[in-house]
Amino acid sequence: MNGQRSVDRRIVLRNYIKLYLILIRTSVRSRMQYRFNFAFGTLLAAIIQLSEFLMVAIVLAKFGAVRGWTMHEVGYLFAVMTLAKTLYRTFGNEVHNLERYLVEGELDQLLTKPLPVLLSLMPRGFRIMFGEVIQGGAILAWSLGAMLHSGQVTWWAIPQTLFAIATGAVVLFAIGMATATCGFWTTRISMLQNMTEDAAQTAARYPLTLYPGWMSGLLLTAIPVGLVGYVPALYILRGELGTWVFPVLAVASCLAVLLALRFWRFGIGKYQSTGS
Amino acid sequence: MEKMARLAVPTFESERETAIEAVGLCKSFKTPVVAQGRFSGIRSLFSREYTTKEAVRDIGFTVEKGDFVGYIGPNGAGKSTTIKMLTGILHPSSGSVKLAGVDPHRDRLRCASRLGVVFGQRSQLWWDLPVKGSYDILAHMYGVEDTDKVRRLGEFAELLDLDEFWNTPVRKLSLGQRMRADIAAAMLHDPELLFLDEPTIGLDVNAKRNIRGFLKILNEQFGKTILLTTHDMDDIEQLCRRVMVIGGGRLTYDGTVDGLRREIGLPTEIKVTYRDGYALPEQRAGLTIAGAGLNGEHTQNEQERDSEGRATANGFAMRIVSRTDSALTVEVNRQEVRTMDALRELGHWGEIEDVEMREPDFEEVIRRVYG
Repeated sequence: MNGQRSVDRRIVLRNYIKLYLILIRTSVRSRMQYRFNFAFGTLLAAIIQLSEFLMVAIVLAKFGAVRGWTMHEVGYLFAVMTLAKTLYRTFGNEVHNLERYLVEGELDQLLTKPLPVLLSLMPRGFRIMFGEVIQGGAILAWSLGAMLHSGQVTWWAIPQTLFAIATGAVVLFAIGMATATCGFWTTRISMLQNMTEDAAQTAARYPLTLYPGWMSGLLLTAIPVGLVGYVPALYILRGELGTWVFPVLAVASCLAVLLALRFWRFGIGKYQSTGS
Repeated sequence: MEKMARLAVPTFESERETAIEAVGLCKSFKTPVVAQGRFSGIRSLFSREYTTKEAVRDIGFTVEKGDFVGYIGPNGAGKSTTIKMLTGILHPSSGSVKLAGVDPHRDRLRCASRLGVVFGQRSQLWWDLPVKGSYDILAHMYGVEDTDKVRRLGEFAELLDLDEFWNTPVRKLSLGQRMRADIAAAMLHDPELLFLDEPTIGLDVNAKRNIRGFLKILNEQFGKTILLTTHDMDDIEQLCRRVMVIGGGRLTYDGTVDGLRREIGLPTEIKVTYRDGYALPEQRAGLTIAGAGLNGEHTQNEQERDSEGRATANGFAMRIVSRTDSALTVEVNRQEVRTMDALRELGHWGEIEDVEMREPDFEEVIRRVYG
């Protein structure tokens, strides 16, 4: 009986994965119907990213270092955050955009499908964010390259950084999902997102030592964006903490996403829909 | 073996299978009070003040397998809210729903795979894909075998004329085409139960007829249980065996279409033209003659009737609504007097040249129901 159920589960899971891929292919195909929009959007994203980094670069060039963090180290924090965010937005953009579904009542359609809402929601926003990937990748290559050259880090830093980007993306996704879930009560979430997503992510592009204790504490626990770049950088770049950082990151990101998922499930029961 | 076991179940029970069972459904919405004045945005965010709106109050009914039910009521009466609770989109504040014995809130995925849902105002198709592409995805989603998919789509294409826009992206379809495509999409996985929220809204006469024809076939030939909401009374008259009326969040009527007509008791209108004028008799028992021919009085009369609502229909047998020199228009209350008797009576007043009779419009019946 139990064996049967686990086989069923495996079939369901395999179907879900297959369906997920089909839905992703569909979104890419839909998006490609608007080629100009895609090309222009990519270009624009790259320019925005570049200008954002230029701001940081100007500050760094002027003051040289931030609280004992070199220009390359801050560049690294910036790049890891950009890439983690890109990864999150590539797969989870519609969770971030949930407000639109709530306001326009589009979530109704998704709820009538025999799929978990996240599974029908997430592939819809799937897109390849070339602009951000190129920009983040370039800054990462520049900063890591310089540190490799100076002997501050070894080649080990590369797989470690990729790991940090992956767990970072999961953390950002969890924060995004928890924030979006609030929308089931409040409908509008963009203000909240400004705080928990945009502002928090921007803040965590700099070493957290920059901020007062209560704030860096907040950024490591309640809105754990510090786990994305800052904590791994402490070990990877500066040799502080220890290798235990990686299992901690893995566990923390899984925990965050599980908690967010639980909150999400609870929130869906409170969905109010809209009039028609 | 399994078939044998199924056959063993007494037919009595299988005939009375319930498709939908709703018990004491209530839904209230809380909306935060929007603060006025300075920092109103922030203040509303933290405010604990709510206004509670009870959209649906204590609605209960059962729908048997194979039924075709119309669910009507004025805008904002709670129709959509009810449908959303039945389909598992909204969780009821209290009460319960069972679809073929399964709770759509506890077991949404299982229920969803047996349901077809069409929202007239929204499409479930992929906007940028050709119609065909959406069906491919839906087939994967519901685990429909390829052979079944091809066979069903073949049937639907014939009944709904899908061929003409098979390869057109959904965004380029006309409203009528989109609705047809949407209904086919909802039936692709062959659900037993179909919910339609205003499926004919905004459509032209032909598109409406096409869709009604399809729904009729689904119900009569394939035995599907269908529940639809609509504002189009032709939908109700032509399709539904049973009609439920919701008003102010409560179920105010649940029964047949004819029953609804009877309950409202609208009078039949008869217009009689006399060859050489007529002579009104003195006031008689059982015959109310109102409206002395003057327009002003006539309107006043009309208002009186309206303000008294439904019940007044039962108070009189026959009355004059308007008159000219050679013609009379009277309302006959069929609960009090037979039409033939009324005509005979009218014949006493002069030599009849022509008679026109008008049955109360269903539209009018509904206007009364909506209040």
